[in-house]
Amino acid sequence: MKKSNIIRILYHAGSFLLSVFALSVLVFTISRLAPRDPLYAYYGERVEKMSVEEQEQARERLGLNASVPVQYMRWLACALHGDFGISYQYKTDVKEVLAARVGNTLLLGGMSFALIFVLALWLGLFCAWREERLTDRLICRIGTVTSCIPEFWLSLLFILLFAVWLGWLPGSGAYSVGKEGSAADRAVHLILPLTVVVLGHLWYYAFQVRNRLLEEVRADYVLLARMKGLSGKQVLRRHCLRSTMPSYLSMMAVAFPHILGGTYVVELVFSYPGIGTLAYESARYKDYNLLMVISLLTGITVIFCNMLAQGINERLDPRMRAQSKVGRGEAGGV
Amino acid sequence: MKKKIPVPSLLVLTIIVILCFACELIMTKDPLYMDLSHCSEAPGKEFLFGTDTMGRDIFSMIWYGGRISLIIGFLATLLSTVLAVVIGSVSGCASAPVDGILMRMTELILSVPGLLLTVFLQAVFGRANVYSLSVVLGLTGWMSMAKVVRTEVLQLRNTDYVLAARCLGGGFFHVLRYHLAPNFFPSVLFMAVMNVRNAIVAESTLSFMGLGLPVEEVSWGSMLSLSENALLSRSWWVILIPGIFLAGTLLSLTNLGNYMRRSTNKRHSNLGCEEKDKKIRNKI
Amino acid sequence: MDVLRVENLSVSFYRPEGEIEAVKNVSFSLGEGEILAIMGESGCGKSVLCKSILKLLPDIAKRKAGGIFIRGEEITDYSEKQMQKLRGSFFSMVFQNPMTALHPCLSVGAQIGEAVRLRQPHLTPGERKRRVEELMELAGLEHPGACARQYPFQLSGGMAQRCVIAIALAAEPAVLFADEATTALDVTVQSQILELFLKLRKKTGMSIVLVTHNPGVAARAADRAALMKEGELTRIGDVEEIFEEIKHHQNFISCG
Repeated sequence: MKKSNIIRILYHAGSFLLSVFALSVLVFTISRLAPRDPLYAYYGERVEKMSVEEQEQARERLGLNASVPVQYMRWLACALHGDFGISYQYKTDVKEVLAARVGNTLLLGGMSFALIFVLALWLGLFCAWREERLTDRLICRIGTVTSCIPEFWLSLLFILLFAVWLGWLPGSGAYSVGKEGSAADRAVHLILPLTVVVLGHLWYYAFQVRNRLLEEVRADYVLLARMKGLSGKQVLRRHCLRSTMPSYLSMMAVAFPHILGGTYVVELVFSYPGIGTLAYESARYKDYNLLMVISLLTGITVIFCNMLAQGINERLDPRMRAQSKVGRGEAGGV
Repeated sequence: MKKKIPVPSLLVLTIIVILCFACELIMTKDPLYMDLSHCSEAPGKEFLFGTDTMGRDIFSMIWYGGRISLIIGFLATLLSTVLAVVIGSVSGCASAPVDGILMRMTELILSVPGLLLTVFLQAVFGRANVYSLSVVLGLTGWMSMAKVVRTEVLQLRNTDYVLAARCLGGGFFHVLRYHLAPNFFPSVLFMAVMNVRNAIVAESTLSFMGLGLPVEEVSWGSMLSLSENALLSRSWWVILIPGIFLAGTLLSLTNLGNYMRRSTNKRHSNLGCEEKDKKIRNKI
Repeated sequence: MDVLRVENLSVSFYRPEGEIEAVKNVSFSLGEGEILAIMGESGCGKSVLCKSILKLLPDIAKRKAGGIFIRGEEITDYSEKQMQKLRGSFFSMVFQNPMTALHPCLSVGAQIGEAVRLRQPHLTPGERKRRVEELMELAGLEHPGACARQYPFQLSGGMAQRCVIAIALAAEPAVLFADEATTALDVTVQSQILELFLKLRKKTGMSIVLVTHNPGVAARAADRAALMKEGELTRIGDVEEIFEEIKHHQNFISCG
């Protein structure tokens, strides 16, 4: 490996760690600024019956009476050993609580992402090909409408329609009681949340693909390609799509945490046992340790995906690739 | 290809805004009065849109609560737009290190999941009311707009007419007021309208989850927070009606925003295709 | 027989604001192996004329009247599919700005290779590669092997234009349209490219339509020249005649 490559990797790793560190400071500080007493999360309403000394003791035990920087240093020291503390609400290790839920969110988010990835590309291509004609306009209209509806309301609507009125599909949970292992049962429970997440995000990305393609279609190289004897459709698929690919891939890298975040609200409405419902509960009950880890986890995904997006752009686009070899151009590039 | 003014959207929006702000004139009932003898009543003569699970009149609540949702959307946008324009312009005009720090900071805040950030901030402010929620939403909504403003400023900063203005002795604020602002106005306007939309969505989502306005403070979001009970009692109107108003407002805002965006694609496509040819041939 | 004949061609753009007549009643013919220069100011419709012959105009442009014939066969009402066949074989075109005409994310070798594959689908990859290098050499590019791996942004304007010419040559065309092919280039490169056109004509016997607003270019390379003004072909004839006339005209103006 060349020396410049090692330096580049070190640089990226360093900036990644720095961002994560800054993120943890930010999240920690904000969470400790909240006035409501986290003792409530641990002891519930019993706190009110406790004497001042008892409360003080409990705080001491949970490490809540030190100053914020000291608390942060303590938390950091433990976190570096892989100990993220206990969830005040569940009274068990934060990691265990998370581990039970992460799979469900990844399943829902991952499937939504895969569907959106494929459908957005296909829909964007289709609309670009039928530019300003009836089908394109119709899809644009419908797309705008679906992307405007708040996800939670769409979820409610679907539950009302398909679960309550028609009774075709289950409206809550990830599986029926007693059928935890059945894949078919899981799939049936996934249909409604999946549809909501996909509908909520799909058009934004499809529209971006469409608009990028429409810009490409106006480029001169399209004429040259047609002069070679390619048909319009072939030019669109082979040439225009190709030059939008780097930006599409990096856009989708950024989209991943966004879509994952979009599932949080949907999970809540469908009472789907994932990270989203967990985050909601921990926010409501001031379960700091849990909320910290969830925020950090999500934040790290975001930072990682952003860096990935930048990397993709530099790798795939020959122009950017040459630029990064020469060295970053003048300061203040976009 | 000149853009057409979105008349229906503008009309819907105007009607909703006027009726919400003149709600005292059209409300048939007290929107806060819980008439326990008329819980979950279907739409009818007395209660035009029915009553919710707590016996309040939904028709009156729509207008009364709509006003609060709109105010929150507007106030939050005002704050976030000012923040975005100031931070974006400063970042675009400042030296590389300052710019770098500001942008890293922006990206850092952007990487905290939006909903969680809002919840955190709300917790700092204590119990939510209209103003605290507006401030929280304003503080969490400026980041992407600031990035856009910065990009525009960077692009414009090196153009010759800005250079000319500087050579003539124009100071920072002169250049900002007369040269930069008119140029990024369309995109800022677009993003501002989108921010109104996002703030209304965020307010309703938070209130729906029970993390924003409490049930007693009527807004479109807090009206929907009763939907769980409504699903059980199959009171579809409790879910459907506020949602339709919410979605209608959001859709109109989106169309309006798209209209304000600078129109692109002035050239015509280089992709010819057979069917298009025929269509035009027939037309002539 | 004329390799290309255009009779009373009129082309209009239909915009929401109304109809714009870009080409009005233009007739000309092009002999086998002939170089015809079409001269005129920017915006007089030269480019539209070429593109309308090739049916490369956007949808809002429409041929109103007239006919187009190649070797006596009428192609006026050819469908897009039929035109597609002609474009890769009978006609070819070189564009004004080679930097935007080449696909930015593909190596030039791949782009020339695509043109070769469309024209000669039966070639094996190895043969195709050899053919690409042959074409690049024909277009005057040195070190074709190394050059094929480059991306357009790594090339100079002249080299990029030679790549576009190589793509055009891959079609082995009977008629080559050069739409302001030398305008975006340095003066020295301009004359090299013109030399190249003359050499290629000699070698392959193809006819060339040289669209330009630069009389010097026309005088240097063309056999015949046509003058275009506001969509109309005002004068067509031998280069010497036309230039004699222009000179006369200008003297007349300056005297007058």
